[in-house]
This record gives sequence, C-alpha cells and structure tokens, in this order.
Amino acid sequence: MRKIVNLSSLVLFMILGVSMSVSAQARKKADKDTENFRYEIEGVGVGTQGTYLIKVWSYSKKPNVAIEQAKKNAVHGVIFKGFTGKQGVPGQKALTSNPNLENEKADFFSDFFADNSKYMKFVSVSGDGSIAAEDRLKVGKEYKVGVVLSVNVDALRKDLEAAGVIKGLGSGF
Amino acid sequence: MKNNLKISFIAFLLLVSTSGAFSQAKKPTIMVVPSDVWCNTNGYMNEFDNQGTKVKVPDYKRALQENADLLLVISKINEMMTERGFPLKNLESCMKTLTDQSAEDAMLTSKGGASVNESPIDKLKKVAKADIWMQMTWTVNTTGPKKSITFNLQGLDAYTDKQVAGASGTGAPSFTAELPVLLQEAVLAHIDNFNGQLQKHFDDLFANGREIILRIKTWDSWDGDLQKDFGGEELGSQIEKWVSSNTVAGRFSTSDATENMMLFEQVRIPLYDATNKAVDARGWAKGLQKHLKDTYQLDAKLMMKGLGQAQLVIGEK
Repeated sequence: MRKIVNLSSLVLFMILGVSMSVSAQARKKADKDTENFRYEIEGVGVGTQGTYLIKVWSYSKKPNVAIEQAKKNAVHGVIFKGFTGKQGVPGQKALTSNPNLENEKADFFSDFFADNSKYMKFVSVSGDGSIAAEDRLKVGKEYKVGVVLSVNVDALRKDLEAAGVIKGLGSGF
Repeated sequence: MKNNLKISFIAFLLLVSTSGAFSQAKKPTIMVVPSDVWCNTNGYMNEFDNQGTKVKVPDYKRALQENADLLLVISKINEMMTERGFPLKNLESCMKTLTDQSAEDAMLTSKGGASVNESPIDKLKKVAKADIWMQMTWTVNTTGPKKSITFNLQGLDAYTDKQVAGASGTGAPSFTAELPVLLQEAVLAHIDNFNGQLQKHFDDLFANGREIILRIKTWDSWDGDLQKDFGGEELGSQIEKWVSSNTVAGRFSTSDATENMMLFEQVRIPLYDATNKAVDARGWAKGLQKHLKDTYQLDAKLMMKGLGQAQLVIGEK
C-alpha cells in the first residue's frame, strides 16, 4: 500500500513537473516572439487622455500564456512598433524612432520586460478581460488570441524619458 | 604646492569646458492659431479695401471672445503640450499683452517728458509672434443624425514657410456625442502623431543645424552694389563664400541674386558659435555684418525676425 502511495506521488510530481516545464517553455517561446515582433496591434478606439486603447494579437500553444503575453506585447509594441488605425481611429507611431534602441539599451529593456516587472505598471486589461469567441483563433498548433488593453502611454513615455532611453520633446533646448 | 596649483588649474579648465558643453540651444516658441479657412467658414474675418482689392484677414480677437469651442481646442492642445514638457504661447494672452503694451507705450514718458521711440517698422512688428505656428482647422460632418469631425493640425515654420509637422483625419461618426466631446477626442487622437513629427524636426535641427532665411539688400544712398568688385570678386560672391564657410556642411541655396538684393534659403546655421554660445539667425548674421565691416569697410544694418530670419541692408546703418 505504502509503495503504491509513493509511486502515485512520484507520478503526480512528474506530471506537475512536466506541465510546469511545458508552461515555462511556452512563456519562453512567447518572450522570444515578443522580441521578434511576432504579434499584431490595432487601434480599437481613442483612449482617455494619455492612453491608447488597442487590441493585441499574440500567439502561443497555451491560450493563457498568449493572454498574459499580450500585456508585454502591448507595451513593447507601443515603444518599438506603433500600430495601425482604422476608420475613425488613427494609428500611432512608436515612441522611439531609433530602430536600434532595443539593442542599444538591451540591459534596460531586459529588466523592464522581465516577467511581472515594470512594464506591468503601464498596461491594463480593458473591461472585465474576457476574450470574445472570435478573438480566440486556432492557427495550426497555436492559438492566436486578441486582447483589448489600455496602455498608459503618457506615464510610459515619461518613465522612458526619465531613464534617458528616449528624448523628450523639449530636450536639448 | 606647485602640483596643487596645477591640479586646480586643470579642474578649472574642465569646469569651464563642461559648462560650455551644457549650453542649451535656443528654444523655438509655438502658438496655436485657427486657420484662415476656419475663421472664414465661421465668420471671423475682417474685410478691408486695399487699393481696390478686397482683402480678408482673420479676426482672432473676436473668434476667441465668441467661440467657446475654439477656446476648448486651444486649451486642450496647450494642456497636452505642457504635459509633454513643451509649453506653448497662448494666442489670447499674447493679444492681451500686445494691447496692454501699446497702451503703456502711448502713455510712457520720462521725467524730462520724453516719449518712447517707435519707428514705422517697430509698429508693423507689433503682432503676435511664434517660431512655429500650430494651425488648426476642423469641420463638422453631418450625415443624417450622425456627426463626425475632420481635424487638421499643421505645424508651420514661421520663417521657412515649411510644414514641419502635421496630423489630420476624420473621427468615428457618433449619434450622441456633443461637439466639444468630439473635438477633445480629435485632439487626443492626433496630438501624438503631430508631436512625433515635431520631434523629428527637432532631431533634424540638432543634427543638421537650424534652417534660416537670410536676405541681403542695399540702401539707395549707397554708391555701390552687389556686383561691384571687392577683393577681386563681386561682393555677392564674397557674401556667398562667407555663407558657405559658415553653414553646417556648407548647406544653403541662393534663391535670388541681383545687383541690389540676394535671398538665401535653406541656410543651415550651427546651433552654437565657436564659444559654445547658442545662436539664432541674428547672432549668426552678426558675423557676416562684422566680416563686411572688417574686410571691406562696409556698414550694414541688421534686422531680424524671431529665431530664423535675418536681413542685412548694406550701405549704412
């Protein structure tokens, strides 16, 4: 009896370990996708003053990872990529016009985009965070999930300016 | 003791050199104004007869006194630019200051009874000034019960007449939103793109120098002209040579040149002089004025307009 309990505990731990490792791998892959700009952003509406209201499409084998990664992608996209608009909602350019900024300030951004770190301060899920059925798509072996988020672009810009990562409009004068 | 003196001297030199390096470029002023189209559409124009031709000029004062929407848009743009660390000059305050200043100048006398000097040119120059005009236009589009706003924001360089920034577009149509709400939304939607382009303009200014316009003219009392030989070459060519060697990478275009006048456009002047002091068009053209005096014993009157336009009239001061 004792042997069976021990064996089942071992199997349980192994299953738990494997699932955690799969999840960690999925998160790692999602981070890699963020670095490679493998996500799409579109404007949803004109946000309140100082914010952008956007929908971020992220990819992952695990929908939960894609949903969580959307926050990182949103901030990453606002800084480096910008987004397109639609009828009545203009697109916005990236906060930086320097195409090499990510490499030039690699140390800063690796801390900034570490899991659950500073980038979380500037992004929040719009509404109750529920994902509409048409925003959860299965593409091959992966899920493509669209999440509507609000990015506090004013605070983000000020933070990057204070850190000397991007220039302020009045800097140099 | 000798070593200590040496160290203090080096420290002093370092301090002097670094304080020079941190000097700031001259900051352009920006002001938001409604466009002529907006003023005309909304009936804020003054019409007068100029020798038989009817001329319309925008009546900013009446527009600001009567149109609350205009005030709201200007205030919103000012607020957002201040948020970005670039406060703007306010049109309404500027016009009030001009009126107050005129009244004060008219009444100002010294203890001995003297009044303030004012030439006709001084009078002409008493207008609201900015280095960059943020000119905005909006139109309300109505389709049945739906309303939308087409918003156009242009950043115009007051000297080169170039559009240095811009953002425009039509907002989403709404059944219920009131006009002020739609206008605020339009400003929020477009201001960041406008500022992105403005930032690019400033980056270009820091990389390639300030773009200015230089006009050379001659007084009719002067017996020479710009085609007269000075130092083996025509004066015009000598001036061109000076401009070429005192611009960033020799960048300028001679747009017009006759015996009486020259017009230099797209002149890229450095932001700092040799002593690391920030310069504008006037400070830079002073160099040419000095060069003409020192090399050819020619007097010239220097006039300026803001940071980006200078005029030298050769012959006398």
